[in-house]
Amino acid sequence: MSPARPAHAALPWYQTVTVMIIAGCLVAIVNFGVRSTFGFFTLPISEAHGWPREIFSFAIAIQNLVWGIATPVAGMLADRYGSARVLMAGAIVYAIGVLLMSVTATPVMFNLAGGLLVGVGIAFSSFSIVMAALGRIVPPDRRSWAFGIATASGSLGQFIFAPLGAMLVSAYGWQQALTVLAGLTLLIVLFAAPLLSQNTSGRRPTADEADLTMKAAIGLAFGHRSYILLVSGFFVCGFQLAFITVHMPAYLAEHGISREFAGWAMALIGLFNVVGSYVSGIIGGRGEKHVPLAFIYLIRAVITAGFVLLPVTQVTTLIFTCSMGLLWLSTVPLTMGLVTVMFGTRYMATLYGFVFVSHQLGSFLGVWLAGRLYDQFGSYDIVWWMSVGLGVFAFLVNLPIREQRAPRFAAA
Amino acid sequence: MKLSGHRLALALFLGVIALWLVGMAVVMRHAALPPEASGTMLAVFEPGTPEDEVFASLTRADARIVKPSGLSFIWVVSSDEPGLAGKLRREGALGAYRELPVSPVIAGCFAFADAKVANLAQ
Repeated sequence: MSPARPAHAALPWYQTVTVMIIAGCLVAIVNFGVRSTFGFFTLPISEAHGWPREIFSFAIAIQNLVWGIATPVAGMLADRYGSARVLMAGAIVYAIGVLLMSVTATPVMFNLAGGLLVGVGIAFSSFSIVMAALGRIVPPDRRSWAFGIATASGSLGQFIFAPLGAMLVSAYGWQQALTVLAGLTLLIVLFAAPLLSQNTSGRRPTADEADLTMKAAIGLAFGHRSYILLVSGFFVCGFQLAFITVHMPAYLAEHGISREFAGWAMALIGLFNVVGSYVSGIIGGRGEKHVPLAFIYLIRAVITAGFVLLPVTQVTTLIFTCSMGLLWLSTVPLTMGLVTVMFGTRYMATLYGFVFVSHQLGSFLGVWLAGRLYDQFGSYDIVWWMSVGLGVFAFLVNLPIREQRAPRFAAA
Repeated sequence: MKLSGHRLALALFLGVIALWLVGMAVVMRHAALPPEASGTMLAVFEPGTPEDEVFASLTRADARIVKPSGLSFIWVVSSDEPGLAGKLRREGALGAYRELPVSPVIAGCFAFADAKVANLAQ
């Protein structure tokens, strides 16, 4: 055992809480940002290989699914070996996947690179792993704020990388653009380095936490009613966001909104998302988390109902996208905060990982079901109303969540 | 190094935006077209140039207007004849850039900034 650092000894600058928070946020920016550029590669890659667009789309669908499935695994590893190591390993896998996307020539290899490797890489270097690290670094009263700033950073990454990625493709060609993006992904290794000093996970539980094994913690969590309610509600978040992201431009086009305007409107979601995520973190730190979380879902339902009932114009589109942007990832800091309140910080990455699987299942269904129902009925109306109904459902399931340490997770 | 919560968030946000602007500027420089280029491109004029002057310049350069950018001094134009980028510059455009798959307003703003810096450096 290494000797304890004397209380008066100053920490090196790269181990201060401020630097670690900044480092975590930079990880989130790159992780979310690089992923947000993939849409710009659909056409050039499909055209270069003579593939139908389905091949690229299928790889991205696999990527999303793998991202969801791999998140609890990444969480388990982060809780056992520390977030920084997992982030670094994830960044390397992510970068290799992106790099291989530029050189693969067959659909199978492309699915392996862009689907499997990138999906695993995104999960292992994702902001949920960052939040787990920050949750352990900052004191409990600043935890929700830290979750907010990490989520807002991911949103910011999405907002700034999208135009950058598009310009890279145009200026250098898609293969070189992917190489540059792979290089940028490796920055995560550098950014995660300051977090290495805070790998307190896998050691003794904190004073207010019971000493449980990971397996026991997972089993107990799934037997805890409030956790199940939280997981159920987060499914709705995934459904709503994925449906809007993928199908909204087509819906707007059907109602006579120009492609350029639709692009701006969608970009505004990203910008307002930065503000919404950050503010949500602040709100979560000031009182109960489950009430604002429930109302986020209810307000989403009300806004969606209003948007569908009113004529689709540029004004209603802007009001919808800006308000949805504010509520976009604002569920994340509150959800992560609730996981921490219920189960403590020791297994937070793992237990949030399982909540996130539910989110990704919702995303998958939101994209797939909307397409299927559109093909059947020739309209998105039924999916919009499903989204409203699910919003009300999420409101109802989040309200009864008991915001206290789950039984057997508190220290005896 | 210690910053309070909101100040830290603001500093981080501004720092990232500053880095992003630098990155975009570097990429924009590489999107500038050589005089012999043809095809679809962004033609950038001095802000405040009257629209009839812009149209006259585009006509003299044999450029076909593809679409407006949303900014009156930046237009998406096209020509199959080689040398469109050079002709545009000779007819008064500040610069010509590859058409970028982002909003023409955003691309136009960066194109203008790059063209201005490139012209000042000459």
